[in-house]
Amino acid sequence: MRKLALMVAVIFGVALLGSVAFAGGVIKIGALYNLTGGMSSIDAPALNGAKLAAKQVNAKGGVLGKKVEIVAIDTKTNQKEAAVAARKLISEGVVACIGYGDTTYVLAAAPLFQKAKIPFVTSGATHPGLPKMVGDYMFLTPFGDNVQAYAMAEFLIKDLGLKKAWVFTNKAMDFTLALSKFFKERFKKLGGKIVLEDFYVTSDKDFSAQIARLKNLKEKPDVLFVSATPDNAGVIVKQIREAGIWTVIASGDGFDTPVIIEVPGPKLADKIYYTTHQSWDNPAPEVQNFIKAYEKTYGRKPENAFAALGYDAAMLVIRAIERAGSTDPKKIKEALEHEKGYRGVTGAISFTSKNHVPVKDVAIMEVVKGKVKFVKMVKPSM
Amino acid sequence: MKKVVIIAVIALLAFTYIAENYLSDYHLSVLEFLGIYAILTVSLDITNGYTGLFSLGHPAFMAIGAYTSAILTFPAMRKSIMIPALPEFLAHLELPFWLALIIGGILASLSAIVVGYPVLRLKGHYLSVATIGFLIIVQVLITNLEDLTRGPLGLNGIPPYTNLWWVVAWLLITVYVVWRVVNSDFGRVLKAIREDEIAAEVMGVPLARYKLFAFSLGAFFAGVAGGLWAHLVTAITPTTFSLPLAFNLVVMLVVGGRGSITGAITGAVLIGVLSEILRPIEMKTQAYGLTQLITAVLLIIILIRKPDGIFGYRELRLKISERRG
Repeated sequence: MRKLALMVAVIFGVALLGSVAFAGGVIKIGALYNLTGGMSSIDAPALNGAKLAAKQVNAKGGVLGKKVEIVAIDTKTNQKEAAVAARKLISEGVVACIGYGDTTYVLAAAPLFQKAKIPFVTSGATHPGLPKMVGDYMFLTPFGDNVQAYAMAEFLIKDLGLKKAWVFTNKAMDFTLALSKFFKERFKKLGGKIVLEDFYVTSDKDFSAQIARLKNLKEKPDVLFVSATPDNAGVIVKQIREAGIWTVIASGDGFDTPVIIEVPGPKLADKIYYTTHQSWDNPAPEVQNFIKAYEKTYGRKPENAFAALGYDAAMLVIRAIERAGSTDPKKIKEALEHEKGYRGVTGAISFTSKNHVPVKDVAIMEVVKGKVKFVKMVKPSM
Repeated sequence: MKKVVIIAVIALLAFTYIAENYLSDYHLSVLEFLGIYAILTVSLDITNGYTGLFSLGHPAFMAIGAYTSAILTFPAMRKSIMIPALPEFLAHLELPFWLALIIGGILASLSAIVVGYPVLRLKGHYLSVATIGFLIIVQVLITNLEDLTRGPLGLNGIPPYTNLWWVVAWLLITVYVVWRVVNSDFGRVLKAIREDEIAAEVMGVPLARYKLFAFSLGAFFAGVAGGLWAHLVTAITPTTFSLPLAFNLVVMLVVGGRGSITGAITGAVLIGVLSEILRPIEMKTQAYGLTQLITAVLLIIILIRKPDGIFGYRELRLKISERRG
């Protein structure tokens, strides 16, 4: 017992040393990410991207003559931690906050920033309704799910001439439901036909019943739109191909994961198209410079597009501070609303006071025999 | 004894007053979560500590309480926009917070009776398995009852009614009720069941009825705590209350000591405070994951050195209260 007390005392002591006030003369930007737990594969690269942005800006002398500091808190894939950490950042006096690759956690944290009138720029949450749900201090770095779904629908019909779709939707996730909804809307508007919509849930492992229904369709579809996240994406592709169906498969950024090749294997991972935020094969200098800088700092290529989104989110905030000429959160928010065409790693980003969800270029990717190829950047009509 | 309790309650209320008026929003929220966790561990102690039933169902009851009180208190104006498909009688309902919390608790308690009625007749670890199953059922229901719950997107913008006063008031109620129950004839029967089920049965104890009462009492307070949680975080989704939370609560209870109210509270406070204290270190050194590591090591040390936890099966007794008056 005494040893235990001693140990607790030591931990307290070290903690006090650790919390000794931060040095003055810095601009603090908060960063809320799930660095441990289920979301860490998405959120940890995003924080690395954001830190890289701060490092580059500081190397050039910072902003407004001050250094930028990213104050990051790990919220452990837990909404309670998100709600507490948001308050902690606000009490530490951050001028703006970035964070999260998932709407669930944004909704636990962002309303607190809204209440404190501090801008919150999510790096990866794609729900287009977020600013409506949270308020006018909420901004998105990525495109909304409507944009990527529209882009895929237009690409399939206009570029590939595919007009009959089978839609397969995970009905247990908001992201997948929204993606299918927007896809169907645009696909039908452009003269496409949905021959059947079928459903599954995240925990499903066997899709043979739905695939059998697909096989027995009188009117054969020429494209299979699979609305899925990495949990299911690979398995669904594998089971469809194993059933001898070689129709084109299309999806959103939930397919931007090595899993869709690893699980089915390079032979079966073929004739797949998906949309995502950026391709590392894009020759644009913003993209290639980012990859080089990331590799130099972290010793590896960016893990996924969320690294680039984290970088862009931090850059949007830093640029806004510079334009505002002030660290007043209210002025930063106003400056964010005047962002015009920042050439980010994930495409050009603009905000207005009415629109806090950027309409960006969408990267179309193709998987050919286990190899991912960049097709092109497209901008859907809104 | 009475004097000590009265002084402690007054001190707690004075502390709450000072905290509400002088502490930052961040420190307040830490205290509020500590209180909610204390309510959860103390109520979990009824089954897991005093009756010897290993339940992992707390998150399910919290989810029921959270959704119930969120739907009942939501401003009718916003309800019509956010959850338009809500049944008529719910759409215009806007109950006061305390009533919504109690209704949430009662629904959680009723669901515990429905699950417990068949399961508690069985011996062994069936309850823990059944409560995990129940948790999954609750999550699937919340995900699919979109007219009520908005499905996977969850509810957000819940009125932020929870403050430290509410949490402290419910903590006092929980501790009082649990204290009275476990120190009554009834509570002694529960302990008898824990020590030796067969002996208790031979003595004429209707096992199932007692177990069911203990289980549903714990569920009531879990439901209330879920409601407090919902109105503190202001956003809930079907996965907010899931299995890791159940394990967290069990860890707190094991560290603090089962079968003891002081133990349950100590565990909740110790683990909660530890993670806040380690946060600055984590931020400074960027060694994210440190909190979980240190908590795990602490847990192992305690399990080896004091398998019953810090206050296993006994209460903190001040010298004055040696003889109960």
